Amino acid sequence: MGGVVGGEARVRPDLSPAPLILAESTPGPGPSPSEARDADPAHPTPVRSAPPANAVTQSVSEQASTGRAWRLAPPEGASTYGPQVDALLERSHVFEAGLAAVMLAWLVLAVWRFRGARPVVAANGGTRRSRAWVVGLAVCVFIGVDGTLFLGSERYAREVLWNLDVPAKDSRTVRLEINAHQWSWEARYAGEDGRFGTPDDVVTWNDLRVPVGVPVWVQVVSTDVVHGFSLPAFRVKLDAIPGRVNQTWFQAAREGTFEVACYQHCGTSHYRMRGLLTVLSEADYARWLREAGRLATQAYDADDAAAHWGWEWRAP
Amino acid sequence: MRAGWVRALWTTDHKQVARQYLWGGFGFLLLGGLLALLIRWQWAWPGQPVPGLAWALPESRGALTPPAYTVLFTLHGLVMIFFAVTPLLFGALGHFVLPLAIGARGFAFPRLSAAGFWAYAVGGALVLASFAVRLGPASAGWTSYPPLATPAFTPGVGQTLMTVAILCVGVSAFSYGLNFVVTVVRCRAPGMTWGRMPLVVWGLFYGAVLNVLFVPVLAAATLLLLLDRVAGTQFFIAGAAAVGGGGDPIVYQHLFWLFGHPEVYILILPAWGMVGDFVAYFSRKPAHGYRLTAGAMGAVTAMSGLVYAHHLFTSGLSPVLGRAFMVLTLLISLPAEVMFLNWLMTLWRGSVRLTSPMLGALATMIVFGLGGITGLVLGAVATDVPLHGTMWVVGHFHLTMGAASFLAVFAGLYFWFPKMYGRALHEGLAKAHVLSSAVLFVGVFGGQLAAGYAGQLRRLYDPYQYTYLKPLLPLNQWTTACAFLLGASQLLFVGNLVWTLWRGRAAEPNPWNVGTLEWTCAASPPAPDNFATVPVVLRGPHVLSQPDVQQQLGRDWMGQAEVAPLGGTE
Repeated sequence: MGGVVGGEARVRPDLSPAPLILAESTPGPGPSPSEARDADPAHPTPVRSAPPANAVTQSVSEQASTGRAWRLAPPEGASTYGPQVDALLERSHVFEAGLAAVMLAWLVLAVWRFRGARPVVAANGGTRRSRAWVVGLAVCVFIGVDGTLFLGSERYAREVLWNLDVPAKDSRTVRLEINAHQWSWEARYAGEDGRFGTPDDVVTWNDLRVPVGVPVWVQVVSTDVVHGFSLPAFRVKLDAIPGRVNQTWFQAAREGTFEVACYQHCGTSHYRMRGLLTVLSEADYARWLREAGRLATQAYDADDAAAHWGWEWRAP
Repeated sequence: MRAGWVRALWTTDHKQVARQYLWGGFGFLLLGGLLALLIRWQWAWPGQPVPGLAWALPESRGALTPPAYTVLFTLHGLVMIFFAVTPLLFGALGHFVLPLAIGARGFAFPRLSAAGFWAYAVGGALVLASFAVRLGPASAGWTSYPPLATPAFTPGVGQTLMTVAILCVGVSAFSYGLNFVVTVVRCRAPGMTWGRMPLVVWGLFYGAVLNVLFVPVLAAATLLLLLDRVAGTQFFIAGAAAVGGGGDPIVYQHLFWLFGHPEVYILILPAWGMVGDFVAYFSRKPAHGYRLTAGAMGAVTAMSGLVYAHHLFTSGLSPVLGRAFMVLTLLISLPAEVMFLNWLMTLWRGSVRLTSPMLGALATMIVFGLGGITGLVLGAVATDVPLHGTMWVVGHFHLTMGAASFLAVFAGLYFWFPKMYGRALHEGLAKAHVLSSAVLFVGVFGGQLAAGYAGQLRRLYDPYQYTYLKPLLPLNQWTTACAFLLGASQLLFVGNLVWTLWRGRAAEPNPWNVGTLEWTCAASPPAPDNFATVPVVLRGPHVLSQPDVQQQLGRDWMGQAEVAPLGGTE
């Protein structure tokens, strides 16, 4: 296995420039004790083992316990580009709520006002004018509501969702290969050499780590059934399908710990296919990757065929 | 005695076939509803024993386990769509009313109607049998995505039985689809032009066209899946389970949704037709823009197969296809808006009578309107991604194809029951049933929309495994409370039905004062040949509140085949 990674963009976290200026730069709460310990090279997280579940879960629940039970809002966001799609959603919901209110009010008013009213002479099926009004009104509503949604959606798709040029052109981009299993997320990092399928590949289970403010380019596959890779806090969702490589990208706006969820029914324990994504500072991430890569190289077993599922990175 | 029973079951009379579908559909509606309540229980009180379920799940003392839960939501979806709502709309109401409303003596292929019912019954029996087999019933979700639905991952016989059951209902749906299309095209009474058909006939006709076109696609996908299950083929298997070659799971998803999305319209088109008719009848006014409405329904039918891939926005669909399907999906909302505005215009300046079918039609309008509006953000790529696979989707499609078609079924049943059984249901109970159902539907599915917007993924045995979903427990409990009330409110219908069939008063010949053929030319219940003489149709279905009719006949409606005493109307 091995080979040269196509193109100029290698993963060199230690050489990366200062963090990008973020659209919505929310200062993180600072590393919690557990995160600080994880990042400490003296106490590295063992590769290929469960994440420190208790400690990290605590830090997730701290975020969630801010009393959002009844507020109609998407999950708390952590992505640089998430606010764009959130704003679009909110705007279209306002439009749609208005539309629903008008239609309901019209209906209720008509029933209330004309209930048992004296029948009036009704032109058969309305007049040409009234029918023209119906079509005109429908076209206006369509242009207004659907048009706004379409233009906003198209813009987001062009600039963010389907724009893989952003991660492809950024030299700091982190590449991530994810292999979905019943019922866990196996993630592979290229390690310091920037190539997948080499002894220093870092492999984790249900434990994703990414640096803040850097594009993360994800390619997903599945070993067994169709899974759905989703990062609710990042507005990321993509099927993991056996036999093909799907790809997407995101960029974390702040440090913290977030959840990875499976959204396609993938069997009995589908609901437990939960992973954690930890957003670290660039320096902490680089330190972690270096240490984890060193341990992986030590533990590398060339005969362990099952561990060699990584593929040579191919951009579209 | 027994011979009479057997003869009744083997009947080819469309009205008797309709009654058979009605009882079959209600049985499965009850089953599907109970499964839904169990799902709701699990989300409100995860892992808590369900009272009275210890006999079924002795090892967990009645608490739902993850395998039991996967069976629940899989069968809830399959049973409701294939064995309850479609059979009630087409099998029961469609079979009953279509020949009567177009002035036909029966279907073009009466034996095909009967055979279709028996295919449905065999499918239903297989579903029920699957509860008794080793490893339990199907559990791969109603969509049965492979490779999960292949024996490598779902080895139970139940999944195979369900696959065969879907083929059976496919045969049934294709046969009545074909029968409806041919009957409408070939068997209309003299003078029943396309422009004089009641809107419900248009709805059933379009729905039948979709059945003929797209049910074979489902059958193809299901048959290939069945071969993967029993014959060792690998059409849809890839990854570790693919031994020597293998196929592509994505092909199944395309085939499935090429049927699955039109199925939404199969369920809603008859409902739209009923709403269009009932709003006109009970506003005592001709339907506003009859041709526009029928044309809009036709436009939806024509486009229905062109929007399916919005279900695949997160499957790695190419951006070109993603954009094309986004445009087409948004475009299909335009005819729906035309139709909705026509209904509102029909109400306006009418003489609105809040009978139980009218309340059902208005409730259908409201829940369908809300469901349609909440679907827009799922049609656009960017907004679909955060909502895809969440309870938002569940709330949206339950409003449109669950609540709206359910309420339409009851609007139709309350409307035609006197014709079907010759007895009048209790209006007060019927109204209370429709109103409580509508309000509680909005409660249940509104709660689901809220949970989905807050990120709750569908099909999670225990959503609270995810920390970010923990705060949603109170919302889910509230939704569950609404769902249980909704279930309880169905007793209003059951009580009404039992009382009416046992003690109900005889229905008047034309209780709603409308002019369509089934009310003006046929007895209640109609004779085996429907009409003493085949009616000659002279006018459209909504001749209501016309001044010259009032002058000549002293009433505000006129039969479609009624000869005017002095010169014609219209």
